Amino acid sequence: MEPLRPGRMSAPGKTEPTELIARARTGDTQAWGDLYREFAPAIFRFCRRAMPTREDAEDATMEIFMKLRDKLVQYDPSRSFTAWLYKIAANHCWDMLRRKKARHDKDTDDIDEVALECPEPNQLEKLIEERTGEEVRRALDKLGLRARMALVMRYYSDMSYDEIAEGLGVRRQFVGVVLLRARHELRQALGESSALAVGGTR
Amino acid sequence: MSEPDLDKNKRLGEKCIDEMTLLLYVERQLDRETAQGVSLHTQTCTRCLNLLRVLDRESRLLTRSMLESDEPLPARIAEFQARVKPGMQWIWGVVFGLAVLGVYALYTGYIEPWQRQFEQAGFGGSDLLSLVVFQGAFWKGWQSMFTLFEVLAVMIMAGFGLFAFRRYFRRGSAMAVVLASLSLLLMMTAAPASAAEFRKGDNVTIGKDQVIKGDLFITGEHVRIEGEVDGDVYAFAQQLDVSGHINGDLIAFAQSERVSGVIDGNLRSMANNLTISGTVDRSGSIWVQTLELDSNGKIGRSLTAGGQSLTVDGKIARDFLSFSEITTISGLVGGSFKGHGKSLSIASGAEIDGKTVFEGQQPPSVSSETKLASQPEFTKVQHHAEERGSGYYVWRVIWTGAFLVFGLVLAGLMPKFAAETVESAGQIGASFGLGVLVFFGVFIASLIACITIVGLLVGISSLMLWFVMLFAAEVVVGGIVGHWIMGHTEEFWPFFLRVLVGVVAVRIVTSLPFIGFWAGLAVAVWGMGAISLALYRRLQPSLAPNIPSVPMPPMNSPLPPHTTVGGV
Repeated sequence: MEPLRPGRMSAPGKTEPTELIARARTGDTQAWGDLYREFAPAIFRFCRRAMPTREDAEDATMEIFMKLRDKLVQYDPSRSFTAWLYKIAANHCWDMLRRKKARHDKDTDDIDEVALECPEPNQLEKLIEERTGEEVRRALDKLGLRARMALVMRYYSDMSYDEIAEGLGVRRQFVGVVLLRARHELRQALGESSALAVGGTR
Repeated sequence: MSEPDLDKNKRLGEKCIDEMTLLLYVERQLDRETAQGVSLHTQTCTRCLNLLRVLDRESRLLTRSMLESDEPLPARIAEFQARVKPGMQWIWGVVFGLAVLGVYALYTGYIEPWQRQFEQAGFGGSDLLSLVVFQGAFWKGWQSMFTLFEVLAVMIMAGFGLFAFRRYFRRGSAMAVVLASLSLLLMMTAAPASAAEFRKGDNVTIGKDQVIKGDLFITGEHVRIEGEVDGDVYAFAQQLDVSGHINGDLIAFAQSERVSGVIDGNLRSMANNLTISGTVDRSGSIWVQTLELDSNGKIGRSLTAGGQSLTVDGKIARDFLSFSEITTISGLVGGSFKGHGKSLSIASGAEIDGKTVFEGQQPPSVSSETKLASQPEFTKVQHHAEERGSGYYVWRVIWTGAFLVFGLVLAGLMPKFAAETVESAGQIGASFGLGVLVFFGVFIASLIACITIVGLLVGISSLMLWFVMLFAAEVVVGGIVGHWIMGHTEEFWPFFLRVLVGVVAVRIVTSLPFIGFWAGLAVAVWGMGAISLALYRRLQPSLAPNIPSVPMPPMNSPLPPHTTVGGV
């Protein structure tokens, strides 16, 4: 079976293993095992990006599938299974992070308080061109938990602003601000590694 | 379709667009009108167009970086343990079913007959233990109930054992070694049982000329041991008569029991009536309705006995500890006597070589023809209704402090688990349901485990755990009550403050007259259920430890899902 990629690229009924999901919903353990093998790598990767440690990501992955198993009967087959799964994953990871006092980290400050400087396009382009995926992932580790979670929800699992707002517990109109601030944090983290200042003024 | 706001477009066209708006444009989050304004602006503003493209490339970089497969799926989660959860549910189902069956058997076998006999018997509440265990009506269903409870005990213990072992083996910690050693120890202690002899029947007799080598497990309506047993004897009988020689201990459960022979070891017994006219070389631990150590009877060491009526006419070489409504001593106690009950009678011919201490409702009656090493010390026990003086409430406060210290220690040692437990207590229905099972089921199972082949060690360990949970229950319920009163928090000291407030509130409620007892019972059930629920949840993700690592499947395409930007 063709491996699925995260996000809404997996349209229902086309690339999603609908038959497998249907069998798993009826309690077919073999189907459940196949479903797990199908989605576990992507969910683990999601958790790895969102959670601070590998152990947390492993625990979160298993717990997400425990939840999934309980909730599978509630799944509406007319919707995207992948999107539904990522919503469960995101909610679970964010719950775990909140329990780890994520709300007390730096990005819980009032998001309107600090004005963001608009970057110089050329400098930002240079920064982006020079960075590898590994460097970006390392920089992600340095972000505040909410910033990191927001980026993962948006750019890994392609969640909508409404879903991100619901998941993170912020108003929808602030999701863009959260994402923009997260990008700035990321640029700063990337810039620190090469002493490249990205910020500029218009 | 509405016309774009030309004024706004003009405004956007006059100066560069802010990054937020550009990002929302890239993300397709702008309304149509604003998006058109941005589109128009970027047709003439190179800087904004460049920034728009860079933001889009940044999105792609983010998605690509996150999607890259850099780590294989860890071995321990390579396979979902499909059987884990249903397995555990099955065990819980069995445990629950057996517990329900046990409670039903308890009710039909004991409570109903007890209720019928209660008024006829005329016993007060202090006789509850003797009524519970030793009444004849209870005995009628004893053997079948015993089988049932034995199964129940084994199953529950096995369930809890599985839980514990799964968790520690999963972690591969030193605890696994400790637990494995413990299980080996249990197996070793159980090993003699495999070489033991079993006798069963309506009438079972070990004849005078018979010698049993090894331990003897014997059950029947009428059991007679006239011969010799070179080991311990475990006897379950309606009528037990030991006139032979037991080289080990006698552990007996009987309605009527008579020991006229010689026991080289200890005598541990629960019976309706027990008469000892023989010799027990070591100690006696006896719970009976009536005990008579007749003039020929001897206990080589100390005697600890509880029941309704204890009569000692024979000899106890060392101390005698009594918990009985009526205690009568007319024989010899080589050590001291300590008793608790309604009355103590030290009859003519009695000799107590140590101190005599008695706590009861009436002063001891001491005959003039006795030999006592010292004057009896008597402490009058107040009736329950009279206990609620200032001292009672002082002790309540002291105990409240003890609970808080206990809670502080637990929360300090296991902060996460403490928070989870309090959270579980919030699920009142589930906590109560599981609490009923644990409160009654585990307690009964542990008691039964103490007297079955499962072994004392498991039973006592379970009972200790049960008592710790009972003690912690009030703290847990205090925690959730505190959170209800003061709101939710996850910080340690504010959390503890809520526990403090909650425990005080719970103690106040459980100290109230009339409803206090029932409130306390509810708190115990609720709290124990919450602890069990939290434990259950913790132990849920059991994983396979040795499954080889599998690589992550490759992605079809490294491109992000939102790769196009309108107008760019």
